[in-house]
Amino acid sequence: MEHDINKIREVISRSPADPSSLITVLQDIQREFHYLPCEALKETAKALYVPLSKVFSASTFYNAFSLTPRGENIIRVCQGTACHIRGADQLLEQLEIGLKIKAGQTTPDMKYTIEIVNCVGACAMAPVMIVNNKYHANVRCDRAMRLVKRG
Amino acid sequence: MIDIQLNGKMVKAEEGEMLLSIIRREGIDIPALCDHEAIEPCGACRLCMVEITRKEWEGWKKHVTSCLYPAEDGLIVNTHTEQVMEIRRTILDLYLARCPNSKVIQKLAEEHGVVKTSFEKIPDADNCIMCYACTRICEVLGRSAISAVYRGHDKVIAPPFGEEPPDCIGCLSCAMICPTDVIPWQDENGVRTIWKKKFDMIACEKCGKEIITRDFADYLISSRNIPEDYFKICDDCKRIDLANKMGSIILQAEEAAL
Amino acid sequence: MRVDSVEKLDRLRDDYRKAIDTQKKRIAVCLGPGCLAMGSDVILKEFKKVLADKKIKDVTVESVKKTGCHGFCARGPLVVIEPEGIFYTRVKKNHVADIVEKTLINGEIISKLLYIDPQSKKQITDYREIPFYSHQQRISLRNVGQIDPDSIGDYISSGGYSAMAKALTSMTSQEVIDEVTKSGLRGRGGAGFPTGRKWETCAGVESDTRYVICNGDEGDPGAFMDRCIMEGDPHSVLEGMIICAHAIGSRQGYIYVREEYPLAVINLQTAIDAAREYGFLGENILGTGLNFDIKISRGGGAFVCGESSALMKSVAGEVGEPRAKYIRSVVKGLRDQPTVLNNVESFATVPVILNKGGEWFASVGTKKSTGTKAFSLAGKINNTGLIEVPMGVTLREIIYDIGDGIPKGRKFKAVQTGGPSGGCLPEDKLDLPVDFDTLTEAGSMMGSGGMVIMDDRTCMVEVARYFLEFLVFESCGKCVPCREGLYQLYRLCTKICEGEATEDDLESMERLSKTIQIGSLCGLGQSGPNPFISTVKYFRDEYLAHIRDKKCPGGVCRKLITYRINDKCTGCLACLDVCPVDAITGKKKEIHVINTEICDRCGACYAVCTFDAIDIE
Repeated sequence: MEHDINKIREVISRSPADPSSLITVLQDIQREFHYLPCEALKETAKALYVPLSKVFSASTFYNAFSLTPRGENIIRVCQGTACHIRGADQLLEQLEIGLKIKAGQTTPDMKYTIEIVNCVGACAMAPVMIVNNKYHANVRCDRAMRLVKRG
Repeated sequence: MIDIQLNGKMVKAEEGEMLLSIIRREGIDIPALCDHEAIEPCGACRLCMVEITRKEWEGWKKHVTSCLYPAEDGLIVNTHTEQVMEIRRTILDLYLARCPNSKVIQKLAEEHGVVKTSFEKIPDADNCIMCYACTRICEVLGRSAISAVYRGHDKVIAPPFGEEPPDCIGCLSCAMICPTDVIPWQDENGVRTIWKKKFDMIACEKCGKEIITRDFADYLISSRNIPEDYFKICDDCKRIDLANKMGSIILQAEEAAL
Repeated sequence: MRVDSVEKLDRLRDDYRKAIDTQKKRIAVCLGPGCLAMGSDVILKEFKKVLADKKIKDVTVESVKKTGCHGFCARGPLVVIEPEGIFYTRVKKNHVADIVEKTLINGEIISKLLYIDPQSKKQITDYREIPFYSHQQRISLRNVGQIDPDSIGDYISSGGYSAMAKALTSMTSQEVIDEVTKSGLRGRGGAGFPTGRKWETCAGVESDTRYVICNGDEGDPGAFMDRCIMEGDPHSVLEGMIICAHAIGSRQGYIYVREEYPLAVINLQTAIDAAREYGFLGENILGTGLNFDIKISRGGGAFVCGESSALMKSVAGEVGEPRAKYIRSVVKGLRDQPTVLNNVESFATVPVILNKGGEWFASVGTKKSTGTKAFSLAGKINNTGLIEVPMGVTLREIIYDIGDGIPKGRKFKAVQTGGPSGGCLPEDKLDLPVDFDTLTEAGSMMGSGGMVIMDDRTCMVEVARYFLEFLVFESCGKCVPCREGLYQLYRLCTKICEGEATEDDLESMERLSKTIQIGSLCGLGQSGPNPFISTVKYFRDEYLAHIRDKKCPGGVCRKLITYRINDKCTGCLACLDVCPVDAITGKKKEIHVINTEICDRCGACYAVCTFDAIDIE
């Protein structure tokens, strides 16, 4: 996938040009392009004076970053303790069957990505599912796909 | 200078000196797989752990990695207690599950009474013991071409994107420092290959032996103030030249004296 | 508008208070995580719309405000009408017009929205009389659910920044440290290190540069107290940090917020911008010469970054791998400079200690664990939510008096505290007081405040497996005991859950746990085996049932259970529709049947059946 190099540079330039900005820059790139394109990481290394190997290490270390393009709709299923004992596994399973992909994968038409996330802090309303930043609480497993399709 | 007690014996040490160097100086042998004199300690293998206590702790003990713990006056150190040996055995047991084919691990484990692992062997195991010596030496050299990527059990040493590392100069430091010889490299027909990257070698103008990669030479010349023509002749030929020069100077001096 | 003197601040406070008093009614719509997840932002919008249209005397759009988490998440979305404290529960968008008409205009209470006490069966109007609230003492949560987090005016009028003014203008750095030490405050992030001592040590290190860092990386699954403070009362965190900066001599602070809390980042940034505008951050704070500013540093999604040395690496833009802490971070922390790192709740508590005195704070709670502690109650408990109680309150009081016990008539089995570093305690430990030391002695730990209740439909072996899986995923991978040890521990625990383990395996796990605890480089590894060790201690019979009898008493471990439909089945087809492997057959209004050969025991049918028609054997 090709990306506009000027856009990449603009995103990187939002933070001070030094190594301590690395995580923030990666987050800005992730938010802008919905993943971390290879060229963006190379530009980041140059702009922040950080070796490419360290940029790559940071990209693969943190949960928030994806090195492969993700779908239009991101579904995050919380795997916190409260969600786990209130049926997060069944919820995830229904989504995996409904969308025919496993957690961490994207549908071939690039419409949906399922991700697991370790506790979003809405534990009182477990199990929790977030679709494109919209929170869904007390999600019963058989209602998951309906909520996803509704958007 | 300060005094510490080591396995019951009083020994002298510099304040702030790491325990491991004191232990070695006293001739006591403890394993330390991720330790190397060319790099800063990082405490990854945990094999150099020792027990420490102080009189005022009234029997309370702590276990620390001796490579990273600085000596303090009055410290009491024990390197081979029952607990410490159990930790070493279990760590080596875990290593055997991770690198079942590594001769280095097998030997060290056997020395500690662990002949085979009691755990599940890791599928597709290689001999990388994740000591990070390679990445640390690469950083010391100023290149940071390779790094530890991913996290936790998936962590591996790799170049960025698994491709030819742009910052690698083919110096072989990583391959040389690796305690288990896991990094493959090849010199053939004037070309060096490491991390899937190919490097042109510079050959000695006198004897034709391959000395160094062009990239490494350029890096040393530009960053270490080494003269441009330094790598035209190999060290052996330089020595021969020097010996000949010394020889002819002595000859001239003798003739002049006569 | 720069507030460059205490006098100006006091005048400002009076002005703000007068303005609030002119509001005859104040409507608070809770936008805490639970209520927000139930759509309370829609309710807030609706109130604003209706009030803008209606034009009621003394009640305008300004009378409605959003607040942080009011606490009683199980009854959300919540709307509270002050000054009476009228507490409306489970509010929907179509209730808003009624609330405006009946309660705000006509002064009538809408009974169907009130809380009904399950013991007395009485309706309670004022939330302060509800046992969930009356048992609490909210110090760090004093403003959460009460003020609009975006309004610095709300914060100032509730007494905010008065402690900062007192510290900066009438107390020396040492006096501030002494007051915090006198209070006995111990780190609320879970480790419980005495805060005063931490500040004292840092202040005593020779250096031009010192840093103040707030740890907002609340990674313990099941904990959301810090999230609620950062979102609901961000200024309290800033005030605590400014006081710390004065105490130790720092010019730069950071708040490290985990990636999973974007709203906390937004609310904190709004607060920082407002504080800068008023001159509470930046140069010459309150005209006292103190220069201090705060930046937000966002995490990238890594539980290990809650560990102080990993956090500091992450702030510096690196991979969050911890280092051996033989040289403490108060001496050499961020960028090798002396650094104080404290938890969100700790900083939020500091202003109260300065205002009411360390002695007062020490009079609350117990001798060794002074003050109060915030907890997030979650799991199989009726009253899920956010609470704060004095230290020393028992687990039983929290779970039954405040939490109202276990739903659906099930039995209590265990309470899990301390996240993946903590443990599970059984019923006979419920009379233990909650504090830093007692739960640790019992084999668990209080931790940062996450409290997850489990009922008899929980498998304690599976809980251990769940935590081990979490830790294996989150381990940084640097050291062998954690990376390899926890992985092997997890594999063996999975073997037990699948009925493939032997008693030798259990012994192996106990031995391995010891090495992981002693040998690991950081707290994640060192406390990693705790969930296993505590469950084996109190629920050993469950482990043995899995190993010897190949049975799962909790009815959870898939390979060891069977699902069967009983004669309570009404033939509603719900389970049929949800079964992922089509193992259920049956027509409408006829008893359905599960084909146990095909069934993979996922539990979806059990989750959707509302007739109690599915048995687990």
